[in-house]
Amino acid sequence: MIFIGADYADLGLSPEELQSRMGKWFAWGQKMEQAGILRGGEALHPQIRRIVGENRTVTDLTSAEVKEIVGGYYTVEAKDFDAVEEIAKDFPDYDLGGTVEIREIMVFDK
Amino acid sequence: MENKDIDHLFRHHSGKMVAVLTRIFGLKHLDVIEDAVQDTFIKASISWRKEIPDYPEAWLTKAAKNRVVDIFRALNTQRTHYASIKSGTDAIAINELFLDSEIEDAQLRMIFTACHPKLDPRDRISFALKTVSGFSIKEISAALLTKQETIKKRLFRARKAIKTLDIQFHIPRGRVLKSRLESVMEVLYLIFNEGFHSNSKDQLIREDLCSEAMRLCQLLLKNKATRMPEAYALFALMCFHSARLETKIGANNEILDLKQQDRNRWHFPLIELGNTMMYKAVDTEMFSCYHYEAAIAAEHLRAKSFEDTDWNKILQWYEVLNKLQPMPIHLLTMAVICMQIKNLDKAESYIEQITPEDLEQRIYLYYAAKSDLYAKQYNMKSAKEYLDIAIKKVNNSSEKEYLQKKYNQL
Repeated sequence: MIFIGADYADLGLSPEELQSRMGKWFAWGQKMEQAGILRGGEALHPQIRRIVGENRTVTDLTSAEVKEIVGGYYTVEAKDFDAVEEIAKDFPDYDLGGTVEIREIMVFDK
Repeated sequence: MENKDIDHLFRHHSGKMVAVLTRIFGLKHLDVIEDAVQDTFIKASISWRKEIPDYPEAWLTKAAKNRVVDIFRALNTQRTHYASIKSGTDAIAINELFLDSEIEDAQLRMIFTACHPKLDPRDRISFALKTVSGFSIKEISAALLTKQETIKKRLFRARKAIKTLDIQFHIPRGRVLKSRLESVMEVLYLIFNEGFHSNSKDQLIREDLCSEAMRLCQLLLKNKATRMPEAYALFALMCFHSARLETKIGANNEILDLKQQDRNRWHFPLIELGNTMMYKAVDTEMFSCYHYEAAIAAEHLRAKSFEDTDWNKILQWYEVLNKLQPMPIHLLTMAVICMQIKNLDKAESYIEQITPEDLEQRIYLYYAAKSDLYAKQYNMKSAKEYLDIAIKKVNNSSEKEYLQKKYNQL
């Protein structure tokens, strides 16, 4: 599951809101942990360095300029897309305009 | 996660850290400080998704302490200074400012800054909620039922005034302390009342404001210099009112008055705490308006039912309160009490002393009371006339509904 949306710093969230968000993320993580499906995940810093094109043009961007950035991801083990969709229903930041993208990790033949 | 243990932790801690960092860097860098503190909370909210630290508060304090060097850098302080912060005596001094007792001291300084008499009274409330209490602009605007733009302007004005007037970040001493403390208590009283009398549909907002005012009042009581009888009285008053907070709202989210409230659901521990505080408050020769208001609130709580209320006693308290602090709303309340004890002549004499315009947005209460008086004198024509004016003057929709219902029954 890849999480896409605005950076918290750009949303003007209050300490109280941040704490309640944290609680929801924690509960969601615990739920996946207990179900034994969580395989890993990271949160990402909002600073972006983008390299584009043959000229390898480099731009440093802040989250405010991009609006939507990848904020982090979780790796979970599940049967299929539908199963992960069910898990993604508990993602806490939909109300902030957040998006969850489900992608399957490619497994290669050995 | 054990949510209970860290209820409002971020909000409360934000005020603490902003205060301590302001003590280090000064009020003129408040913007930078607030951004830095906000950043530590964003970081915490993300890094705690997986695991909440064993000592969340200590974690947050450490995170803020780590920001000291960043802020120095952001403020472009000379490198030499920055080096001495990292090791030398400054580092020890800064470490000590993060001790609990020093955090409380810094918070008091911030409260005195926010409630400085030279700031516009309305700006004080917004600034206190933002800087001392860690509310966001959105939260302040919801709590005070005021547009976000207006709150932004108030905060901007307050900051500007602090800078141009060069307001000092300290706890006043000596002769000025008393008057400065009065200004602080006034702000806390207003924050509490914003919550207690809020027209907001959201009960949480009411509780937030009331408990915040109480928390700040407790800070005054913790410090020897600010622990004055009137502060105890104010805290007692807040306890007495809070004890009824939950019963003020009916099943359909309508506001219930004293007569309709379920007295069995009043919160007894708060009443007891209020009584204890009152004991400490009366250890003085001079009573403040908070003393009398608390006495009135206590008298209401003492009555087993609305009918049992000792109105004569309450009337006496109002008489002294109005002498100390003459206000048209006190006269109006006394008139209503007199009608309650069927002393219509006295009620009329109080009403005659009021210039309705002085009541400002509460002017409708005057016309409603006058209508009541006429009704009790069996002059239904005038009673209807005045109630009609009251209905036209009231802004709040639930109050309007209440008066309309009354009109239909006349």
